[in-house]
Amino acid sequence: MPSIFEDFKEGQRIGSGPRLAAALTPVAPAENPDRLKAFFYFSNSTRLPSDLRYSLFQATGIRLSKQEANSWIEIFSPYWKAVGEIVKFDEAPSHASWVKVFDAWKETTNMLIRGYSTNGLQAWTVPCLYIVGRYLRTFAQKADAELSSQDSVAFGDRFQDDAVTDFRNAKLEEATRVINRMFTLCLSDRASIEESRKWGIYDTTNLLFKSYFKLNSVGLSKNLLRALNASSADLPEMDAFPKSHIVTFKYYVGVIHFLDENYAEAEEHLSYAWNMCHQSAIKNKELILAYLVPCHLVTTHTLPSKKLLSSFPRLEELFRPLCNCIKAGDLGGFDAAMTVAEEEFVKRRIYLPLERGRDIALRNLFRKVFIAGGFDEPKEGQPPIRRTRIPVAEFAAAVRVGTHAKEGSRVDMDEVECLLSNLIYKGLMKGYISRERSMVVLSKGGAFPGTGV
Amino acid sequence: MSSGIPPWRATASATATTSLHSGHAAPAYIPVQARRSLTSKAAKPAPSPAAPLTSTEAADRKRVEFPEAVRKYVQRSFAPENRLPGVERREMEIKLKTIITEAAESKLLDQIDWETLPLPQVMVQNDRNRVLASPGVSSWGVFGTASPKKLTVVDDLSKKRKSVEYQGDANGCPPWRQTNSQNAFEDRITYPSTDKRQKIDMKNTSKSKANLEMRRKRFEDPNARHGSSPSSRGDSPTPSADQGPVVGRCQNLEKNYFRLTSAPNPDTVRPLPVLMKTLDLLKKKWKKDNNYGYICDQFKSLRQDLTVQHIRNEFTVSVYEIHARIALEKGDLGEYNQCQTQLRALYAQQLGGHPTEFRAYRILYFIHTRNWTAMNDALADLTAADKRDPAVKHALDVRSALALGNYHRFFQLYLDTPNMGAYLMDMFVDRERLSALAAICKAYKPDVKIRFITEELGFESDEQSAHFILDHTAEDLLQEKDGVVRLLTSGKAGQLFEGAKADAHRVVDIKGQI
Repeated sequence: MPSIFEDFKEGQRIGSGPRLAAALTPVAPAENPDRLKAFFYFSNSTRLPSDLRYSLFQATGIRLSKQEANSWIEIFSPYWKAVGEIVKFDEAPSHASWVKVFDAWKETTNMLIRGYSTNGLQAWTVPCLYIVGRYLRTFAQKADAELSSQDSVAFGDRFQDDAVTDFRNAKLEEATRVINRMFTLCLSDRASIEESRKWGIYDTTNLLFKSYFKLNSVGLSKNLLRALNASSADLPEMDAFPKSHIVTFKYYVGVIHFLDENYAEAEEHLSYAWNMCHQSAIKNKELILAYLVPCHLVTTHTLPSKKLLSSFPRLEELFRPLCNCIKAGDLGGFDAAMTVAEEEFVKRRIYLPLERGRDIALRNLFRKVFIAGGFDEPKEGQPPIRRTRIPVAEFAAAVRVGTHAKEGSRVDMDEVECLLSNLIYKGLMKGYISRERSMVVLSKGGAFPGTGV
Repeated sequence: MSSGIPPWRATASATATTSLHSGHAAPAYIPVQARRSLTSKAAKPAPSPAAPLTSTEAADRKRVEFPEAVRKYVQRSFAPENRLPGVERREMEIKLKTIITEAAESKLLDQIDWETLPLPQVMVQNDRNRVLASPGVSSWGVFGTASPKKLTVVDDLSKKRKSVEYQGDANGCPPWRQTNSQNAFEDRITYPSTDKRQKIDMKNTSKSKANLEMRRKRFEDPNARHGSSPSSRGDSPTPSADQGPVVGRCQNLEKNYFRLTSAPNPDTVRPLPVLMKTLDLLKKKWKKDNNYGYICDQFKSLRQDLTVQHIRNEFTVSVYEIHARIALEKGDLGEYNQCQTQLRALYAQQLGGHPTEFRAYRILYFIHTRNWTAMNDALADLTAADKRDPAVKHALDVRSALALGNYHRFFQLYLDTPNMGAYLMDMFVDRERLSALAAICKAYKPDVKIRFITEELGFESDEQSAHFILDHTAEDLLQEKDGVVRLLTSGKAGQLFEGAKADAHRVVDIKGQI
């Protein structure tokens, strides 16, 4: 594994963004555990600018415009400081602080952003933005964890009328503001598309999505989508972007719609992500599926197959009990399964759509009533027709069975009618209720659409 | 006069702005007033008098022929020998414009003795002396004689405030600090109707010039917009925001609410023992007069005094709880939501109060606003113990019944709501009645008795349900048959309710604020 300066040199020489970005990666690779230390001890704070100028340019023979070269020195100076703070975790853990790492790293990010906005840096170097932005988020979260172990809630500035402000995510909020500038930096670049920072837009958007989700303010993501939408005419087609950016982006857009209960749209985006996702990215596929399965349940009333979930034991464990109850029309079992997994479902934000699975369970239960009802007296020469006029009382009996009702408890007939009326309204059952006769009249052709009867 | 239009022809709104300078506002505003005239020495001026007037506006206005005396008066105002040191030409112009516009509007142009009327610059100086002499502004008086550095501090404050206003976020906190970020804007403060300053301020800052300024700042330094984190890049220091808590010494029980635009003055802040008496007084007054405008205003100032003194204890909780309940009763959801958000944070610190009661309201509130993302958060907040609480359980059951369209269960729950949850449920019960009717019309054939509707949908009488049906469907869907009124559940009825349901679900995004 080469040194930081070698990565910089190679990156500049062959014009490779990822290689260049490797120079700004604040983690020592396994093959070269002393890479960061070596970089930190190559200079000291008084000699840093001239040392950097020598090592980045004179020694490597890389020739850049004066403006561009200065930008890199400005970026590497705080970077060197940040690395120094990171190295402390190895050498003097009691003096090490993630807050300090974060502050130095934030400065690095600001310098990088400035490098772009003053036109010093070329667009092919945007992978540096990805790396720096990614670690800005990481360090911010570590800094917040460190801070919250010291102090909890504080008062806000006093122009506020109300008492409490939450500072648990102060650093992440700071980081998010900086990343927001990266977003603008990419989106507002007017250079021609070949040399535009627009290629970085989805990656920075993803970073913001992640932060907003973490900050519990998913609503803000919609502003980003609006901004992206507004300039969509200037953006290249989506499949021209790196797949890794797009899959993540689509995943988040899907989840955002999902949380708004726009399941049809959510499914569209999530399916896109699912299909594009790299085969071996099991963890990502699992994340996508965790939302795609409930989506599917709501939009198409279908359950995941054993085969689909076979590579994802955690999901299998999460969804299977529920699926079994839905299939069997076991309302009581369904409710119990929901209660058991409630905490997990709520945490994953999938409780609300899964809850709607109860309708499917109910449909399956009532379908059994229909099938158990058998056939009407066949007419001459006609194929037999199922009995389509079913007393509400029969459905009420089914509800008793389905909910494991205790002996002596009463089933509310009006509620059973309400359940029936809902299934009919939602198109899960075809037919009508005659209240006068307390009778359900089901359609002769497909009383339970999509289920074969 | 760069545009060649005399200042006294400027638009009426500009006049309203300048009347702020003429010093007849309520005493409590004096600090603001003083600051304006003093900071105008700083680099960025307030909207210049001639600027807002476009040529079309000028054409629209009827031309006024000014009498000779008026023109002479104007000439004298501008004469170099009448200049007063310390009164800027611009301030003088603004004053002059005010004088003449007011005179013209009240048709006094011919009656004023223009020969003896003091010149505008003299009036400006008099106004200023009056302001400095009045009590309660001592802290601002300092700035008048202070070094330029102090002046910039004031300027920073005003800039900061301006940007905050434009964000639509007067709390000055970044959007993710608010629990219901989706609704950040609707949740804004409800302004007390007596608050003139607010209105004037709006007009003042909504001038295009301020917009440009805002735009410039936005591009220059995105961080400044958030302005809450002292350590963020490029933020100017905001000294007054970082000082410790204020200790109040005001002994009055009542106080009108004003949004703080500067460091609070201990003379106008009430200490805790006084605030406790205030709360008792407000409770009595609420019972007696039931005047929500007054009560809301008083509670807001009460909350503000608690905040600036960093008082956060059981009393704080009870203030927010009582205000939240009163707001609920009056259907002031904006104010209610502010209290609710604060209560959520206060409960997290285990300061007492009635957490489960308000957690239940919170769920009902998110049902009403149909904020599913926030609902997820609310559900995640609940502990197993919370879920056993009757009120929370009720709210959860309501949510679940609605999610599954089980109107039968929903209306049973509606008729049996604990605490003040019914006020919240009242807000969405009609919406859910329409949903239920849409389902009923599709599922039942050929008709249902009106009695059935009344019982299923929680109406008080057949008459009430008949009214409701007729209110939402223009057609005559009710028919009498065999001595009972029936709702014809035709396809058309279904469509009508479907339409009404869609409308009802659409308007809910606009929150009901008083």
